[in-house]
Amino acid sequence: MASEVNTKFLQDKRLDRIATDILRPVGVDRSFLIWMSSLAMLLLVCMYAYYIQLDKGLIVTGLRDYVSWGMYISNFVFFVATSLVGMLISSVLGMMGYKWVKPIGRIAEIIAVAFSAVAGLVIVSDMGRPERLPYVLMYARIQSPILWDVTVVTTYMTLSILLYVFTMIPDMAISKNRIGHAPVWLQKTYDLLSFNFQHTPGQYKILMKSIRILLILIVPTAFAIHTVTSWLFAVTTRPGWDSTIFGPYFLTGAFVAGSAAVIILMYVVRNSYKLSRYITAEHFDKMGKLLFLVSIVYFYFNLNEYLVPAYKMKTFEAHHLKELFVGEFAFMFWSIQLSGLIIPMILLLFKPMRKPFPMLLIASVVLIASWFKRLLIVVPTMEGPFLPKQNVPDAWMVYHPTIVESAITLGTITLAVMIISVLMKLFPVIPIWEIAEEESAHPDQQPVE
Amino acid sequence: MYRFSLFSLLFLCSGWLVAQTPWETPADRKAKLSTVAFTEQGQTLGKELYQTNCKSCHGDPGKNNVIRLVPLPPDPASVQLQQNSDGSLHYKISEGRGLMPAFKNVLSAEYIWDVISYLRTYNKDYKQQLAVKPTAGGEVFDKVDLKLERDSGHSGVVVQLTGMKGALVKPIPGLEVKLFARRYFGFQVVGKPVDTNAEGMARFEIPKSLPGDSSGNVLLVAQLSDEELFGPVKAESLLAIGLPVYRPPLNEQRALWNVGQKAPIWLLIVYLSVVFIVWGFIFFILFQLRAIFKLGELK
Repeated sequence: MASEVNTKFLQDKRLDRIATDILRPVGVDRSFLIWMSSLAMLLLVCMYAYYIQLDKGLIVTGLRDYVSWGMYISNFVFFVATSLVGMLISSVLGMMGYKWVKPIGRIAEIIAVAFSAVAGLVIVSDMGRPERLPYVLMYARIQSPILWDVTVVTTYMTLSILLYVFTMIPDMAISKNRIGHAPVWLQKTYDLLSFNFQHTPGQYKILMKSIRILLILIVPTAFAIHTVTSWLFAVTTRPGWDSTIFGPYFLTGAFVAGSAAVIILMYVVRNSYKLSRYITAEHFDKMGKLLFLVSIVYFYFNLNEYLVPAYKMKTFEAHHLKELFVGEFAFMFWSIQLSGLIIPMILLLFKPMRKPFPMLLIASVVLIASWFKRLLIVVPTMEGPFLPKQNVPDAWMVYHPTIVESAITLGTITLAVMIISVLMKLFPVIPIWEIAEEESAHPDQQPVE
Repeated sequence: MYRFSLFSLLFLCSGWLVAQTPWETPADRKAKLSTVAFTEQGQTLGKELYQTNCKSCHGDPGKNNVIRLVPLPPDPASVQLQQNSDGSLHYKISEGRGLMPAFKNVLSAEYIWDVISYLRTYNKDYKQQLAVKPTAGGEVFDKVDLKLERDSGHSGVVVQLTGMKGALVKPIPGLEVKLFARRYFGFQVVGKPVDTNAEGMARFEIPKSLPGDSSGNVLLVAQLSDEELFGPVKAESLLAIGLPVYRPPLNEQRALWNVGQKAPIWLLIVYLSVVFIVWGFIFFILFQLRAIFKLGELK
């Protein structure tokens, strides 16, 4: 991101066209209302499931003495993982000067905001006594990775929201007089969020400085959030978790999940919002290459994470690995590794597979597989304790998620989708000012249709 | 495969062969009796011990639900078991045979008497016969007593053994005494057993390296070796005779495993400085929003 902003794009005729295109879908229309009310109804059903859990306690879930972290904690890891893509696209690629990420930067930011905000709630869903949440801070033990996790999740969410708001200030100023078709309250919100922005050089200077600080801060924070999440596992000596590469293993896995989520939303924006002029086939090709890159790095970490212990086969690790490779979890393990990692990697090598629709399919499979991959990290280890399982009913020895538990998990996903829908439908999903500035600076380079 | 079959056959037959030979108890052990009367307290403890150690094979007494082994383990309420003398039961439980394990290293002699006292509750005709009063050198005493104290003038300790008969108190010579020191887990033997001398005294040297607590205190226990004859005769004494050793408790210093107030300094510095720096920037950026707003008003 350039530190100097050439404000001559404001006089450029192209700004009008770009703003009109991008603002056309903005507003509350019939299909949006139908979509949101169906999501709201689904959320209500899921909230009833949570009411049952609050009333009866965690006994309504499949969590018992041996598996006390099940679907909820897996879901938490998935949410944190997916949110990291905001850092990868906006900060890392943006600051390295890759101009093609400009139209999709905000999509990545929306994912970061929605997923990091809901991640905190997912943790609460795992608590039998959620009213004791303040105890984490009231009786804080600074030695505990749980406190570090609470700290970094909050910090990352704040930074993501700030980055989303800051990069949108010039857009709010440009758009507030151009959304006559939108409800009045939305126009007022735009006015409020424009923070009196008049496109003066002084304001741009402050804005660009703040954005740059945010982009830099978000990199170590994003690394911290997922590394600490991995340490919740890796600081114990349990087989399958007792690993020194858990931090980078989680991080690279996060980039895979996040890139897949961005590709899915890119497809929605391109097709439902008719913005194919801005999110082009070229972008899908580039994202396909990025997904291949992060997948192959993740594949490398998988190789280390499974092959090295499998070569040694220490007693307890051996039990764990056998369960994964040929035992109870073998079907899940191989399905995830093949459909979520190896097959997509091979497919992405071919250019026709990096076209928008094939990419949508690949990304959807990768995202679903990455959700199950977290379940595979959490559950088999908890089902294989060091001491023999005894003196508990047979049903407690293995983990079977219940309907209530699944409904609550579905509820958190629904909530994230609702936040994403609101941010995508009510605010410009592509940064107008950045695109206009880019086109005005390079008038000859027209984006490929 | 052939050898395996042959071996299995022999193994199976051995159980049958063992079952055929009667289990004889040596005469001296057979006549042995408990020195203490069987009480309800001992029977309760005996029941508990029976349920942890014996029930898996011998089943619930009187219910005839023993495990099907060859030879069949007798039901405790059966005549086959109850016809044994107290001493005979004690011998069989202590020593074991074939599939019956030896319990002498698992249960103390006293505990085995407790188990027997529980077993006898299933025999209505049983009347306990107590062992004769403790004897030493041909004399019969009502009671024997041990006293443990520092050996004045020497670096060790001295144990005094006396017998009581009515109003008469007399030192007992020629009996073996053992000395133990209390450790974290259980008791450690100190030196070799010593016989009491003509004055009924046994002297023990205490090694200079024996670790005590921070003031050098060690809990010493003296005991008669022949526990079965005299019952549990013991003397305990906390003496400042060991090497003073100060072991700081694991939760005294700042450590990762300690409570929040005793967190390591380096961790506090790292955590707090990172939080302050990052949130300092966040607040700085929030103030920039105000600056942008103000600049807009100027125009």
